[in-house]
Amino acid sequence: MATEKTVSLSAEAGAIAARVGSLRDFLTFLGEHEQCVRWPDPVMPEPDIRNISVAAGNNVATGPAVIFDQIRGYPGKRVAVNVHGSFGNLALLLGLPKTTPVRDLFFEIIRRWGSDKPLLERVPPEQAPVNENRIDKNINLYDLLPLYRINANDGGFYIAKACVVSRDPLEPDNFGKQNVGIYRIQVMGPDTFTLLSIPAHDMGRQMLMAEQHGKPLKVSVMIGNHPAMPMFAATPVGYDESEFAYASQMMGAALRLTTAVNGTDILADTEMVIEGELQLNQREVEGPFGEFPGSYSGVRKVPLFRVTGVSHRNNPIFENIYIGKGWTEHDTLIGLNTSAPIYAQLKKDFPEVAAVNALYQHGLTGIISVRNRFSGFAKSVAMRALGTPHGTMYLKNLILVDENVDPFDLNQVMWALSTRTRANDIIVIPNMPMVPIDPAAEVPGKGHRLIIDATSFMAPDNLGADPHLVDRPMGPAIDALMQRLNELQKGHA
Amino acid sequence: MKVICPRCESPGVTQMHAGMEDGKVLWRVWHCKDCAYTWRDSEPAESVDPKMRPAWAQMKGVDFDSLRQVIPPARKPT
Repeated sequence: MATEKTVSLSAEAGAIAARVGSLRDFLTFLGEHEQCVRWPDPVMPEPDIRNISVAAGNNVATGPAVIFDQIRGYPGKRVAVNVHGSFGNLALLLGLPKTTPVRDLFFEIIRRWGSDKPLLERVPPEQAPVNENRIDKNINLYDLLPLYRINANDGGFYIAKACVVSRDPLEPDNFGKQNVGIYRIQVMGPDTFTLLSIPAHDMGRQMLMAEQHGKPLKVSVMIGNHPAMPMFAATPVGYDESEFAYASQMMGAALRLTTAVNGTDILADTEMVIEGELQLNQREVEGPFGEFPGSYSGVRKVPLFRVTGVSHRNNPIFENIYIGKGWTEHDTLIGLNTSAPIYAQLKKDFPEVAAVNALYQHGLTGIISVRNRFSGFAKSVAMRALGTPHGTMYLKNLILVDENVDPFDLNQVMWALSTRTRANDIIVIPNMPMVPIDPAAEVPGKGHRLIIDATSFMAPDNLGADPHLVDRPMGPAIDALMQRLNELQKGHA
Repeated sequence: MKVICPRCESPGVTQMHAGMEDGKVLWRVWHCKDCAYTWRDSEPAESVDPKMRPAWAQMKGVDFDSLRQVIPPARKPT
């Protein structure tokens, strides 16, 4: 249940939250801090955009966002990449110096975590910038967007950083159950696309529901968003919690919402919205796609959507992401927001947990620092982590270190692995659920989990080590008493 | 020359868009109706030349109906 608790922001963070209302605002702001570059030369869609995106993302600390506005064959069109591609850019969004250590960014997000007052402002559709242009007929996504191939062997051109809004097909009026998530979208025909989700995701649940009950599922694909939206849309919040509300709470500033033609809520200042409808039970060949584990996903049959309309701002920016073999913008974008909910969920039951670093490939590896309350305690914490919503699918390798080991400092983590691990402190749990695109799975969707307890040794508590057994009364005297009770019960005494 | 799909080598391909520069076509985007591959004819050979593409990425002769479903349909499409 939401309360009135709001995040307290520093003067710098408050000023930034107040002035950044859209992707455009953020790019301008990043530019003032030498964190946004306009690429000065003409580029070919392939391979130039891919290569420059990788180069920008290679500097994990302070790599810049890059804007392309001279894309050959796409006159007047613009692409932005690497907007969340460095921790420096994330620090600036949170009102911190761009050299802020990753550990401090983690604790800033944790500090904001408890605020839960939705800060949402309604904008009439006729006043929303996203509605400056509307296309209802002769829709051709290949013409509207400067699409390009992200990795050389992708099956097509992907929209890979859009925030997709959808209503619960059975409760379309429930705002909280409206989902916002990032899913990979492959453009198919001029007005069709596939959207990949899995049953474990909110969108996957909604697609299953729609087809099971024969109900329409309408989506709005928001491209080029307020920087808080992609950052927090990928955070695993509860099914009936609104990602819009959550993103606004974390920013401590209002997000401007308006209503799309198809009835979903959308950001009023988003660059482009593609409205689509699930084609019930229809599938199209999708993939492969260079995914976050650094390998191509397979080719599968995936639900198909038809575009019903497109709205966009004047001179829209196609914000996209480079994703593939890490480190990539994908890792920076979602790493801290993958770590934070695991920490918050563990902390509720185990206050001894000091920090969680699940930055690596969406949490396929996680490092938890914890103070052992008693011998073997860290292993119990690991088991609890595997039972968190994200841990259920993603936390494959877990490393437990002491509370005085910084899980964000890999040299310290290696020290703990070198000096604190005993071979029999390693646990393998076979045949657990696994992300289907993890190439280490035994079969897609199923594989083994690894827990390495690299915390310091602790003597087991000695309760039970020296038991003094209770003498249980027994023998003929007790037998006689039982006989007596039996007779009393039957009234023979 | 007849355009075929670089991935499944089907002739069933459709032009989706053409990129213009100085009034001339700079590149064309094609889409295959069989395997759904999409490509631009200006791309490096590793993406658009069947001889240069990795063997694992080719789909000639694949039965597309037998591909795995991530979300199985509830019933046959109407």
